[in-house]
Amino acid sequence: MIALYAAHMRYSVLQQFQYRAANYFYMIGMIAEPVVYLVVWSTIARAHGGSIDGLTPGGFAAYYIVWTLVRNMNIVLTPFAWEERIKDGTFAGQLMKPVHPIHEDIAGFMGWKLVVLLLWVPIAIVLVLLFRPTLSPTLLQGVVFFFAIWGAYLIRAIMQWSLGLITFWTTRVAAIFEAYYLSEMLLSGRVFPLVLMPKWFQTLTWYFPFRWSFSFPIVALTGPIEDRDLFIGLGMQVAWILFGIGVLSLVWPRAVRRFSSVGG
Amino acid sequence: MAIIEVGDLSKTFTVPVREQGLRASVRSLVHREMKEVTAVDSVSFTIEAGEVVGFLGPNGAGKTTTLKMLSGLLHPTGGRCSVLGFEPKGRPSALLRQITLVMGNRNQLQWDLPALDSFELNRAIYRIPRADFVATRDELIELLDIGTLVTQPVRNLSLGERMKMEIADALLHRPQVLFLDEPTIGLDITMQRRIRSFVADYNTRYGATVILTSHYMADVQALCKRVIVIHHGRLVFDGDLTALSDRFTTQRTIRARLADGEEITILAARADTASATARLLAEHDVVDLTIEDPPIDDVIEQVFADAHDAP
Amino acid sequence: MAACGPTLQLGRWIVEHRGGGLRLTGTFLRVGVMNEMQYRINFFLQLLQSLLTVGTGLIILAVVFSKTDDLGGWSRPQLLAVMGVFTLVGGIIRTFIQPNMQRVVEDVRQGKLDHALTKPADAQLLVSIRDVRFWQLTDVLVGVVVLIVALVQMSSTTQWQHVVAFVALLLSGLVSIYCFWLMLASASFWLVRMNEVQELFDGLFRAGQYPVGIYPGWLRYGLTFVIPLAFAITVPSEAVTGRLAWQSVVVMIAFTIVLLVVSRWCWKRGLRRYGGASS
Repeated sequence: MIALYAAHMRYSVLQQFQYRAANYFYMIGMIAEPVVYLVVWSTIARAHGGSIDGLTPGGFAAYYIVWTLVRNMNIVLTPFAWEERIKDGTFAGQLMKPVHPIHEDIAGFMGWKLVVLLLWVPIAIVLVLLFRPTLSPTLLQGVVFFFAIWGAYLIRAIMQWSLGLITFWTTRVAAIFEAYYLSEMLLSGRVFPLVLMPKWFQTLTWYFPFRWSFSFPIVALTGPIEDRDLFIGLGMQVAWILFGIGVLSLVWPRAVRRFSSVGG
Repeated sequence: MAIIEVGDLSKTFTVPVREQGLRASVRSLVHREMKEVTAVDSVSFTIEAGEVVGFLGPNGAGKTTTLKMLSGLLHPTGGRCSVLGFEPKGRPSALLRQITLVMGNRNQLQWDLPALDSFELNRAIYRIPRADFVATRDELIELLDIGTLVTQPVRNLSLGERMKMEIADALLHRPQVLFLDEPTIGLDITMQRRIRSFVADYNTRYGATVILTSHYMADVQALCKRVIVIHHGRLVFDGDLTALSDRFTTQRTIRARLADGEEITILAARADTASATARLLAEHDVVDLTIEDPPIDDVIEQVFADAHDAP
Repeated sequence: MAACGPTLQLGRWIVEHRGGGLRLTGTFLRVGVMNEMQYRINFFLQLLQSLLTVGTGLIILAVVFSKTDDLGGWSRPQLLAVMGVFTLVGGIIRTFIQPNMQRVVEDVRQGKLDHALTKPADAQLLVSIRDVRFWQLTDVLVGVVVLIVALVQMSSTTQWQHVVAFVALLLSGLVSIYCFWLMLASASFWLVRMNEVQELFDGLFRAGQYPVGIYPGWLRYGLTFVIPLAFAITVPSEAVTGRLAWQSVVVMIAFTIVLLVVSRWCWKRGLRRYGGASS
């Protein structure tokens, strides 16, 4: 199994390195989103005496710059990819192999992340120069952050892979996926730092996996966060990964059965 | 024990009915009609180890559907089948390691890197011990003559070269059963011949069982002693290729070239071939004479026509 | 003076093709509708999607409003109007403009543009209308509703001149975006990497959700002149909320006409190169 992952990751790294220009374009396009949010919140903060809910423009800058890294880390196979896979026979080919197809995707994207990490560094430097974030994490925070970003990736990878399986039952899945994405947007800390929201909202986000793929890794590094919460967060990540595996083990056999009776 | 056993295998699909025009499209927004389509209808056969069997039939006859049921991709709606003693339906890992499915015109190789890297991936997937892997890989490279091509990115290769890569990739784990679905489709004549000779070679060397679907007669003629003809989902013929010709040929073509350069062609009923030839030789000054079976394509057409008329 | 040629051509083209062009557009629209009707639940799903997207945008605005009454000089109903215009412009772009331009880029990459070039209609017209993502119009519907709500909230200050200016600027803004996309698509005749640049634009488009004035200077110029986002969204929003001087209207429309000419010229140049290069 390790050999399998190593092989897929190696392949992925080589492939994505070939496409580094494309990767760059995509990453640059992607920073528009956090920059918009950053500007909006900083504008408000400045107009209100320098900070809102404890976050200064520097704090917002830190949040959204770390955001760009976390965002890149949690890009996974889009559920939309399934329609193409089924249509062009790729999925059938995967079924013929004696290993579960999810490993190919998880390992492949992991390899891609290694390339992305490398490419991200210059972008981060430019952003830091432009927006002047305030950031001073402890060593523990740094270590937890490193694990948290991979935990974030796994949660999202498994959940969205399972979500994509809906394609086996209906092809007009766009709205379902969009609904998933949009609830994720609101509940994950992607659009606004969760600390800006009322308490009841923050509690609500505990019941969804989104926060643990986004807000938690970001805040782990930027703070403010207590040591205790760092470990609780990691624990929640593990819990959601297990949940995802549970969902997958329920849906996957049914998806295969459906494919095999209808022929895709 | 036979390698493949199929009994009364059937497959029916339920498909929506689509109509033309704007009004019908709007109507379909509210209510959709479905109809049942039988792709495979009670097909039975047995295949022994080492055979090379061809599935013949026009497009949509049910050959690919049958193949997919044998490889576990489709679940039958009736009957039973077993491959190497396993039921393909559950896709048991032990079975998947011993079979392979190659589909013409479909890419399973990784696109951006040389085929060699895809081979490595397969090695990890099938857990092939390194020594065996290297030996098999090198043998396949030699047999398929792809030594210079394996180091180039797959996207730079031509269709035929890519097909050779796919085949090599599919055989790295030395499967016992090969399912080949239209492997020569879209390829030029030379490449078709090369792939055919490779498959024949492979079968002789390793004793692997090969099931091949095609609508190219040439594929079947070159490789298969035994053919199974499927038409409208039903098994219409199962036996030797030559027997096919014998059973369904009603006429033979007699060509004669005369001393003065003229050519005569006569279509004679099988029973009358001898007497027609004799008369021809007696009445004309014949320099050259050939008696031919009609081209196998015509024979097949005849088979289909008969099957179509039959209840 | 080089612009005279293309301008004359444009004039002549409009005269020649207005009838045929309309009919052609009608045909494509009808076929597009028939295609989409096949997928019966599509309408409701698409409407749901539009509502979800706008809903999220509104929730975000609500969070912003909970912290402040004013963003960069724009009041609450004015920001709501911007959101409405953003949604509706986005809907039109995704229905008519983007699918066609993306298809052009794909066709150029794969050398499939010959299909469009051998038909007896003007190539630019053909490639601009052949793909219509009909259902994205739900965004337009939802955007208009949001805009109307915003205008009602500002009812004391809305005047008919604003609405007229709004419609005029909206149309010219849309044309500007079309020209921009056309130039992007034309660039694909020279550069292979246009797919990614389009993704870049998609990402940058999000910045239009808020009035362009709040962004730092360098970003603002980029969004206004490099990518006519401000022209398509902020300026019409300013018009409908009564913040715009009439001189700006004239400037905008003039700019749009210039863009039309320039983009057509780019397209023609690109076609010539394509004709020379394709085998």
